[in-house]
Amino acid sequence: MDYLGQLLANGLVLGAVYALTAVAFTLVYGVVRLVNFAFGELFMLGAFLTTSLMLPEVRLAGVIVPMPGFPLPVAALGAIVLTALIGVLVDRIAYRPLRNAPRLAPLITSIAVSVVLQSLAQTLWGAEELRFPEFYLATLPPVVLFDSIYLSVMDLVVMASAVIAMAGLSLFIARSSLGRAMRASAEDQTAALLVGIPVNRVVAAAFAIGSGFAALAGLLYAQTYGFAHSSMGFLPGLKALTAAVLGGIGSIPGAALGGLILGLVEALGSGYLPNGTAWKDAISFVLLVGLLYLRPQGLLGKPELNSAGRGSLLGGASEFAGGWLHTLFGRLDGGLARLAAAGPGAALAFLAIAAVLGALMPSDYWLRILTMVVIYGMLASGLNVIVGFAGLLDLGFVAFWAVGSYLTSILFVLVLKDSFGVAPDDIWWLLYLNLPLAGLLAAGFAVLLGTPTLRLRGDYLAIMTLGFGEIIRVVAINWIGLTNGPMGIRDIPAPDLFGIPLGSPRAQFFFALVLAALVVFAIARIVRSYVGRAWVAIREDEEAAEAMGVPTARYKLYAYAASGFVGGFVGVFYAHYQQYISPLNFSLFENILLLMLVVLGGLGTFLGPFIGALIWIVFLQLALDLPFVQAYPETRFALLGVVLIVLMVFRPQGLAASARVSLIMPGSRAKGAA
Amino acid sequence: MSHTGLTVHPTALTGHVDQATTPLLKVENLAVSYGRIRAVDGVDLTVEPGRIVSLVGSNGAGKTTTLMALSGLLPLTEGKISFAGEDITRLAPELRVSRGIAHVPERRRVFAGMSVRENLVLGAYARGDAVEIAGDVERMTTLFPILGKRLSQAAGTLSGGEQQMLAIARGLMSRPALLVMDEPTMGLAPQMIDLILDTVLEIRKQGTTVLLVEQNAVEAIRLSDHVYIMRLGRIVHQGSGSTIDPERVKSFYLGAEA
Repeated sequence: MDYLGQLLANGLVLGAVYALTAVAFTLVYGVVRLVNFAFGELFMLGAFLTTSLMLPEVRLAGVIVPMPGFPLPVAALGAIVLTALIGVLVDRIAYRPLRNAPRLAPLITSIAVSVVLQSLAQTLWGAEELRFPEFYLATLPPVVLFDSIYLSVMDLVVMASAVIAMAGLSLFIARSSLGRAMRASAEDQTAALLVGIPVNRVVAAAFAIGSGFAALAGLLYAQTYGFAHSSMGFLPGLKALTAAVLGGIGSIPGAALGGLILGLVEALGSGYLPNGTAWKDAISFVLLVGLLYLRPQGLLGKPELNSAGRGSLLGGASEFAGGWLHTLFGRLDGGLARLAAAGPGAALAFLAIAAVLGALMPSDYWLRILTMVVIYGMLASGLNVIVGFAGLLDLGFVAFWAVGSYLTSILFVLVLKDSFGVAPDDIWWLLYLNLPLAGLLAAGFAVLLGTPTLRLRGDYLAIMTLGFGEIIRVVAINWIGLTNGPMGIRDIPAPDLFGIPLGSPRAQFFFALVLAALVVFAIARIVRSYVGRAWVAIREDEEAAEAMGVPTARYKLYAYAASGFVGGFVGVFYAHYQQYISPLNFSLFENILLLMLVVLGGLGTFLGPFIGALIWIVFLQLALDLPFVQAYPETRFALLGVVLIVLMVFRPQGLAASARVSLIMPGSRAKGAA
Repeated sequence: MSHTGLTVHPTALTGHVDQATTPLLKVENLAVSYGRIRAVDGVDLTVEPGRIVSLVGSNGAGKTTTLMALSGLLPLTEGKISFAGEDITRLAPELRVSRGIAHVPERRRVFAGMSVRENLVLGAYARGDAVEIAGDVERMTTLFPILGKRLSQAAGTLSGGEQQMLAIARGLMSRPALLVMDEPTMGLAPQMIDLILDTVLEIRKQGTTVLLVEQNAVEAIRLSDHVYIMRLGRIVHQGSGSTIDPERVKSFYLGAEA
């Protein structure tokens, strides 16, 4: 009973933090139908700004800056206001231009904003934790309930501020004129404009309030756990999004309820399940996946929010207005599109050029880099199948990659070598068996993942696949008996063919090229068949496809399976190439990176994934020569994020959109919008 | 006599708008494109104060697009819009409402999840004189008694005709000089259509100018002081209600005359 009581108390504190952040997600989603992934980072900024304002001085980007040393309440208020302003600024710069853009653009932008904010925070405050200064209330003796449950005064402050903030917001939304305008804009933006509501300002207000809530949650979290860190917002952000979806996104009471449930379930789960603390991160995602399967609209949500809306996820190759950036992107786009329009041939030509380059390349170092380009190009091609061709945003693709890598590593190292003492040289052929085997296994996983998502559309689909990806990662970390856990698996043998070792950088590179050619060829065959036609139909307008008699569920599963197959297939080679894998290789960030590469190179084209990978991997290396980047390596990710945001704002349908495999037969150039 | 007491927007009657030379609304050479498709192509419209002006034409003629451009919801490719002598071509939508243009959109678009009262109050959002809003809600319930009985009911639960009344009332809440109505009779029962059209006359009688888009050309011609006929994005014929020949209108609809 005492133990239970203590767990419940902890759960309430955690639940309060989740609920506040969930309100941010739900408020903004309700008004503009945008999943602003960056709230996790605004949460982090709230924590950092509060901490900084409370300290006498802070080291920012290596420079000691004097700070006012405010007491917690003043610092918190300052941090909330500052974060709210940052939120409004982000909306103004990155989201407002995309209000009528194809649906994928704002999602990618918000992910890019997250990456930028997190990298900037790391540049500014450093990679270490910043300790949260002690506030006098935190030094008071804890309150004891029922003789046994200890609650610190600050725990009570956390709960009270959450309750007050949420009650205040509910009242504001229900009673005030601006609140009424917010509800009206949420229901029908066009009608809201027609009655004279300045919708842009209302949306800015929603961002300000949401960002303020995220900042409040972040500073309360930092206060509770005693530190601020640049990646601290990531998991709580995902959990809060989960909570918002759990409660029914768009509903404020739902967000509060979802946050509370999640906090309690997590606290109880880590208290009562065997090894619960380790698994607690998986609990919330299992809950999310289960709930989305049974009740996609969430506990208190409205079903229509699950609808994707009509029209293309990616948008067409429409004309754009003037401006030099439009022109620049237009030019770039024209060039890329001409290259990519050759279809799979362009990608194969790319690989052929790479082969010549690889044969002549004297430097092993650059051969390795080129190999990484080909590996990332293949992985991005796998993701491109589901995102670019079928138009389904998948944030769980890394899971398939992980399945392939782990399958071959477990078989070679943990089973055969460690348990049976078989030398890898004697079973060199197993690698070639593993390639298709892992592909099939990952395809199986993909279908398993895909099946419960069939009822979901748009943003919900993205969130559910994200949940799956996280579950796989948590399993890889915690199922130590199977995966060796965080230590990872070492000494994975390099490829070998009939006793000829293929471990040299050049051999590995050509090995990768052969696989890439196979991947491109296979994807091209499928995309150019009736299956691909069905995918494009689903991408362009799922409802219309369904109405035309395309069995969308079946073809969506095919897309998952094909994408999963490529992930597993490439994963096998990846493990043998790296010779060491750990759960860190398969984070959500990798998935986001792959997505960015596909978007950068051109969604729905064969060449795009390789172009994206080439640009990124080569840039990653070249930039390392700059002293600034050596001091702040994370700024490269910030730059990628900025490029993506600019690209999305000025070309929301992505690059090479006119070369995207379409339903229009080659030769006919009629592409007018209806 | 204004028994419902609708207050007229000042610009409709004040002296600085010279009624003889300055029309309330003047649209010149309006063009709107969706991508490469020109949906409205060189439309000229003039609405004199105190009139009912209709824009008729078949599906896809560009009527709704014209109105959306008028309200600032669609960017113009070309052209100029003046309202009460002021160039409003680039004005933000909400500012056009406060200048005195209220737009009752196609398919009504009431805020379904909000109460009838909230819908009405939102109609006055651009006005900002909170004191008189309650009085205006009262007046709307006089104009449409059925709304009075449903004030705290969610708008989505009203019948189609009731929602249309609510949409019109919501538009009037901004005390417009010009009420723009897009297909107010669409999908309604015949009795309800008569009632709505009577309301249009009543609104004009109380001093509000009306720009009406209708597919039902016969009713629109009967009602209006001036009629514009649109086809394929252009005005193909116009005239006062009495001078328009219904047979010619029919041929425009059927596409015999372009």
